[in-house]
Amino acid sequence: MEKKLSEYLSLAKNINISKNEKKIKVGILGSFTLNGLDECLKVKCSEQNIDYESYIGNYNQYNQEILNSESGLYKFEPDITFLIIDNRTILGDLFHNPYSVSDKKRREIVDEKFGEIKNLIEIFQEKLNKKLVICNFHIPYFSSIGIIENKSDFGFHEMINELNKKLVNFVKVKNSIFIFDYNQFVVKHGEKNVFNYKQFFLGDIKIAFDYIPFFANDLIGYIKPILGLNKKCIVLDLDNTLWGGIVGEDGFDGIELGHSSNGKAFVEFQKQLLSLWQQGIILAINSKNNLDDAIKVIKEHPDMILREKHFASIKINWNDKAQNLVDISEEINIGFNSMVFFDDDKLNQERIRNEFPEVLTIDLPKDPSQYTEILTDLNDFNVLQNTEEDSKRGEMYAQQRQRNQFKETVSNLEQFLNQLEIKVKIKKSNEFTIPRISQLTLKTNQFNLTTRRYQEEDIKKFVNDGNYLVGCAQVTDKFGDNGITGAFIVKKENNIWTLDTFLLSCRVMGRGVEDAILSHIIDDAKRNNVKEVKAEFIHTAKNKPAENFLKDFGFIKQENYWNYKLNNDVEYPNHLEMEVE
Amino acid sequence: MSKEVYGIVAKVFSISESDVNDSSSPENIESWDSFNGLILVDELESHYNIKFTISEITNVKNVADIKKHLKNHNVELNE
Repeated sequence: MEKKLSEYLSLAKNINISKNEKKIKVGILGSFTLNGLDECLKVKCSEQNIDYESYIGNYNQYNQEILNSESGLYKFEPDITFLIIDNRTILGDLFHNPYSVSDKKRREIVDEKFGEIKNLIEIFQEKLNKKLVICNFHIPYFSSIGIIENKSDFGFHEMINELNKKLVNFVKVKNSIFIFDYNQFVVKHGEKNVFNYKQFFLGDIKIAFDYIPFFANDLIGYIKPILGLNKKCIVLDLDNTLWGGIVGEDGFDGIELGHSSNGKAFVEFQKQLLSLWQQGIILAINSKNNLDDAIKVIKEHPDMILREKHFASIKINWNDKAQNLVDISEEINIGFNSMVFFDDDKLNQERIRNEFPEVLTIDLPKDPSQYTEILTDLNDFNVLQNTEEDSKRGEMYAQQRQRNQFKETVSNLEQFLNQLEIKVKIKKSNEFTIPRISQLTLKTNQFNLTTRRYQEEDIKKFVNDGNYLVGCAQVTDKFGDNGITGAFIVKKENNIWTLDTFLLSCRVMGRGVEDAILSHIIDDAKRNNVKEVKAEFIHTAKNKPAENFLKDFGFIKQENYWNYKLNNDVEYPNHLEMEVE
Repeated sequence: MSKEVYGIVAKVFSISESDVNDSSSPENIESWDSFNGLILVDELESHYNIKFTISEITNVKNVADIKKHLKNHNVELNE
């Protein structure tokens, strides 16, 4: 249930900037009154333990804010700016009388309006190397020519549609510019709700008070992935969550799945989960059940959509659900703050909420017809860019399960590593790898020497700066491709190389890959006659796995830095193959 | 139900209910700006399930005016 705007206004008064690790600076530029949006964003950020700071452009001054390099917006330097222009503002008189001009003229006007926005985007990009989100334009239901609106040549609705299309096409290739589909937002809530004439006349309010919180919620969907707060894994109960009834009591044929009305609700929910899985969201099971009963449904039930291969971890037993969640987290190496927990049982929800407040526990109602909507309303799975690694994640976790099974068949670690046929390919930073490198710096917590978080724009800066070396590593083995799972940024200064960033995804930890990558860097340094290689270890709550890495590799601690003597020979782990691009 | 109206006014303007009376107005309540005034309209409308006209809204000078308009919309205010 969304709170009312008035509630946000009073909640916002009690929020002080605290010392949260996650911080965001937001710019809001609007063509109409957006009072209350700032407060909603502030409260919603605080609910996610994010420190929120904002700059609100003056009423309808978005042009000045963007065009003037001395503007308050640029002085504030927001991490993300929302540019919210409405259809009345952009179309002017033509909003009411589009048919007073010829279709040719209408096309010209759309080109001209698009040109204006394109110019704003380009100037923004020139002056501020940060993220920009632009709302597209809503297509109103009304047309003065009524039911034959779509028979006219380049009619009113088509004009706005065309403008939106041009925007999308222009922005598609720009990695730090995004379009918020405001038209869809209005469709979702209904134009008659979102646009309230009375509020419009009283205060030039074009998003009614009741819908400002929903609007803020959608905008938060951009902030979460910037801060790496997006969820990666959905943990699911079985009875009354993936199917109706209790398989242990009702039996294989007695559960509700498919056919009945309730049964259809569960199928729909599963289909939606499958589509998230296809986008790289990991699924896991946490269920109190007899393994045989439940697995039989998953494997054999004709109406089951999700099968064994879709789950990265399966915990079906009589253990405590909190303990199972710990086991899932360890098995797939995913933190609790990346998990969403779906369970119909209120007590289980309470148990997980108390034990792991960082898990997003869904308040699942009794009625399964609401499940799908609850899932599709979550704005927690957004990513700003879908890398190849994301869409293949499901497959990768299936391979990981095979690896673990293989590990159990060999007698020791050395044998396991030797037989894994690991290949490490060092890759350069380029347009294909930069988004992934940024993503790794944002998401990697465990094997991360410095935990410095970099947006794509930051990585690009390093790449273009001759004093930095940016690279990454792709890891494959006999079970498949792990994708780009390691990254490094080296600062080159006065013939000294310093590791600004060195990290490895937990997926490939403990296989010598980290040693191989560092050996490569040292080798490279020697070839470039570098005097010294330095590294830092910045301790965090989560990076214990990387704690002894520098020492074990042969670095020697000198005050705040770790140093490596370059007269040593560089050794590579002999169980893996190296390739440098 | 004057008290109820005072309560809503107090909540919207973040002041104590005891500081609200019929003569409370934008002149003596600092947080009563035009935006919060509209929030108050929204709160009253949804609380009493009524719709004010624009003239009623723009004519409000103080809390007494609000009560007068509420009565016009057949809201029972037991004084």
